[in-house]
Amino acid sequence: MLTSLHVEERTLFKKLDINLIIVILALNVIGLINLWSATHGPTTQDVASLFISQIMWLVVGWTVFLVVTIVDYSIVMRIATIAYVLNLGAILYVTFFGKVALGAQRWIDLGFFRYQPSETMKLALIMVMAKILSTRTTFGRGMGLKELALPLIALLIPFVLVVEQPDLGTAMMLAAIGGSMMIFAKIRKSILATIIALGIIALPIAWQFVLHDYQKNRVLTFLSPTSDPRGTGYNSIQSKIAVGSGRFFGKGFMKGTQSQLEFLPERHTDFIYSVLSEEHGFVGSIAVIGLFCFLFITGIRIASNARDKFGALLAVGVLCYIFWHMFVNIGMVIGLLPIVGVPLPLLSYGGSSMLTTMAGLGLISSVAYRRYLF
Amino acid sequence: MSTYVSNPDEAKEYQSRYKLFYIAIGFALTVFTMRLWYLQIISGNELREFSEKNRIKQNKITAPRGLMLDRDGKVLVENLPGFEAILSPQYIESLDELAKAVGPVLSMEPEKVILKVQKSRRQNGPFAQIRLKENLSREEVFRLKRMRLDTPGLEIRESIVRFYPLHDNGAQLFGYVGEISKRQLPILNEQYKGALKFDQGDIIGKSGLEETLEKDIRGSDGVSFIQVDAHGREAVTQTPNIYGEEIKDMIPVHGNNAILTIDRDIQEVAFKSFMSLNRIGAVVAMRANGEILAWVSTPSFDPNEFSTGISAQTWSKLINDPFKPLRNKVIQDHNAPGSTFKPLVAVPALQEKVITPTTIVSAPGVFYFGRRPYHDHLKGGHGNITVFEALERSSNVFFYKMGIALGVDKMFDYISLLGIGQKTGIELAREVSGTMPNSAWKKATVGEEWQPGENLSTAIGQGFVTVTPLSMAVAYNAIGTEGKVVKPFLLRKIIDQDGKVLRENFPQVVRDLQQTQSNGVHISPDTFKTVKEGLRRVANGDRGTAKHWKVPGVQMAGKTGTAQVMGFSADQIYAKCESRPIHMRHHGWFVAFAPADNPEITIAALAEHSCHGGSGAAPIVRDIIQAYFTKYHPEVIEAALKAKGGKRAQAPVIAPEVEGE
Repeated sequence: MLTSLHVEERTLFKKLDINLIIVILALNVIGLINLWSATHGPTTQDVASLFISQIMWLVVGWTVFLVVTIVDYSIVMRIATIAYVLNLGAILYVTFFGKVALGAQRWIDLGFFRYQPSETMKLALIMVMAKILSTRTTFGRGMGLKELALPLIALLIPFVLVVEQPDLGTAMMLAAIGGSMMIFAKIRKSILATIIALGIIALPIAWQFVLHDYQKNRVLTFLSPTSDPRGTGYNSIQSKIAVGSGRFFGKGFMKGTQSQLEFLPERHTDFIYSVLSEEHGFVGSIAVIGLFCFLFITGIRIASNARDKFGALLAVGVLCYIFWHMFVNIGMVIGLLPIVGVPLPLLSYGGSSMLTTMAGLGLISSVAYRRYLF
Repeated sequence: MSTYVSNPDEAKEYQSRYKLFYIAIGFALTVFTMRLWYLQIISGNELREFSEKNRIKQNKITAPRGLMLDRDGKVLVENLPGFEAILSPQYIESLDELAKAVGPVLSMEPEKVILKVQKSRRQNGPFAQIRLKENLSREEVFRLKRMRLDTPGLEIRESIVRFYPLHDNGAQLFGYVGEISKRQLPILNEQYKGALKFDQGDIIGKSGLEETLEKDIRGSDGVSFIQVDAHGREAVTQTPNIYGEEIKDMIPVHGNNAILTIDRDIQEVAFKSFMSLNRIGAVVAMRANGEILAWVSTPSFDPNEFSTGISAQTWSKLINDPFKPLRNKVIQDHNAPGSTFKPLVAVPALQEKVITPTTIVSAPGVFYFGRRPYHDHLKGGHGNITVFEALERSSNVFFYKMGIALGVDKMFDYISLLGIGQKTGIELAREVSGTMPNSAWKKATVGEEWQPGENLSTAIGQGFVTVTPLSMAVAYNAIGTEGKVVKPFLLRKIIDQDGKVLRENFPQVVRDLQQTQSNGVHISPDTFKTVKEGLRRVANGDRGTAKHWKVPGVQMAGKTGTAQVMGFSADQIYAKCESRPIHMRHHGWFVAFAPADNPEITIAALAEHSCHGGSGAAPIVRDIIQAYFTKYHPEVIEAALKAKGGKRAQAPVIAPEVEGE
């Protein structure tokens, strides 16, 4: 009895991917430390309560993570389509009845939580794409037009709806995640080349007819940030100053003047990485990127050891989600990309982001958990 | 115990695709590392500086200027605490409302307030503070203090106001202060390179000693650093010094004090004398060693009005006044010296042996040179006279003859050595030299040959000769001291706040004329003694032109003079001067030293448009000499009074005009 219990515990423990959990915990801890600083400046006491709610979201996030881990992800495959359709419905609902924040993001107020359907859409898209792509038997030359039709439609519907919201950042993320998954599943080279060419042609058209003025401004500002340092270029310049002024070792915890004295805009959400770079310098900045790399490598290992194609694609999809968010967010903060409202997973403040990320990581963990047979 | 899932081969299909991921991760890692390296390591110092500039606001604390004290330590120029209304534009919530609220309190038009703020925002940016009004009254301070809470952006700040306790007395000497102008800023920064650094809004000395002593009396401004957040609010951190200990406030350093040669008592007597006679003009009193004791130029102005921001109205009144109150007439006005020039002509006449002290010269009422008559002021003339009588009675014809005998170039050789036609080198800006002509000078400037007739007008101080009162004082002082041409000076010492002497000026003899000069000229003591005796008789002789203005117990020596304002012919010079409009009346001169034999003090007084040197200028000189001896040699005055039975000799205020000057 004692022995069998012992064996069972060891088994459960062994089945979890400890590396994954450790790296997530590490990023959580860094995120909390950093968020403390970002919300406790001398004149910023009003946002101090955000720290408490972030801890609450972390607890909820980890609960979701563990539940998703233990549930067999074959269930995910079964509910993928329903989740996708429901989510589309929610997006349609907010497009017409939702509340608008910052001129773009739309949400439903659930009282304790502002539910952003476009955020969960990312996960729903990953599930549906994984489901569709895993059923395509394509190896060899890759997917042709016939095989691509369904995943493309699955991607385009939410993409167009989100563009219409108009939340360009999230739309781009959806496209990046879906596209990456398709490329991962292999597309015929000629078709890939055609799509890229079409994309390049579509760019100026999109500029002319799809983008809003404030979005165009962001891009123009990115190209020439000093043209209007007090206006649209302000965020970008202040963020670069914050990052650069951290120098090698940083100004120290709670000593980042750019963030503490509110020169950094959106410092607890989109610009959380510049808070970190300012206070912990090159060392801290590279350490966090290193942790993300470790997370990716762990995730890739899990995907490559998955028991089936769906599991592998699911893990890959979530990795794409985290990768693109990280890439665009840090790229924006350090002045390599235009300002787009994209949070940094695990570090930025925000319930939606935290829940989606932890659920997604739960999916990866689940894939790892299910690679063993009993 | 554990084995792989049923068909792992299916999942293995993707094995070759994971390299895409590694490529993407590798790409991101490389790009981010390079970018972070660029921002944090290569540009790190520069961006750190930017972040410091973001949060640290510098507030300038103006250092008080040094005081000016007189030779006894009495205050001539000082600082008073004041209040000024300051606007910090970045905190203003509604400019319109602020202007409507503040304007009436400061008796300013609200539109003017708005314009001032807008102009400053445009020129100096949104963070530069605006000085709305200086030197607030108690009432204004009180009312502003009450409304400050409801008016963000408004501050009342303590300031320093330059104060001149003598008000309009000596205003041109001490000068005034004002805000540095845009045009002056680069000029002064170049001029004082390495010593002083001026910024916009600085208060600087604009004229007089305030201007020339800038380097000595200007303190160094302090700076206080305050930390502000992105909204310009002061951000006090719970833990002090958390953001960097290297930033320390700089305490302003008080400017050094200047001890002047001026004697405030004598300065006040001189000014009072000018005012009581209602005279326009200038007077300078100098000790024999060159120390200036008093310096007055009238009409004057109150420099305190400049310290507190002069109104456009007052300013335009000052610059449009025909009698030029802003001009320092002691060194900036040059006029014909008239008869005060005669003793200077007597020097070469004696030294060149044109005459001896006993030579008798015929001085009739009219003198023909060529076919032109040259008149004396006395129709009947002075008869046969020596140089003593010529000086005492101010004979024109006597000196016409000296002029002919000497010629202008001989006169030039001597008189320019006495300092005429040259700058004295006093520590004030914009001194003019005046003119001592010679034939070469006329050829160079006028382009004509020297006419023999011009020797005559030159010899009586008309024509091309022009002098400043200060240069006349120097020349007479050289006669009185028998040859010592001194450099007049105003600054005795610069002392720091602890009284330590930083710089000291000593009396300086530019040349001793008893020694042979570079042009071969030297002047013997006998020559000086003769001229001095003549000058003594002017003030003491029975027919002396200044005999009415004696100081009991002190013998003074001097000479009266009249300077033509308009070009009247010689015989009209004295005709009905008082009946002319004031700006056409002649200037009266009196230059004197005392005691006559061994002078301690030399005074040159110019009474513009007073018609006569005797009644116009001599009373002022008399008052100064009396004040000087009362203060420095009271025993002399007392002894004289005792001898007269305790009755103080009262000189007539309006004396009968003595003919001839």
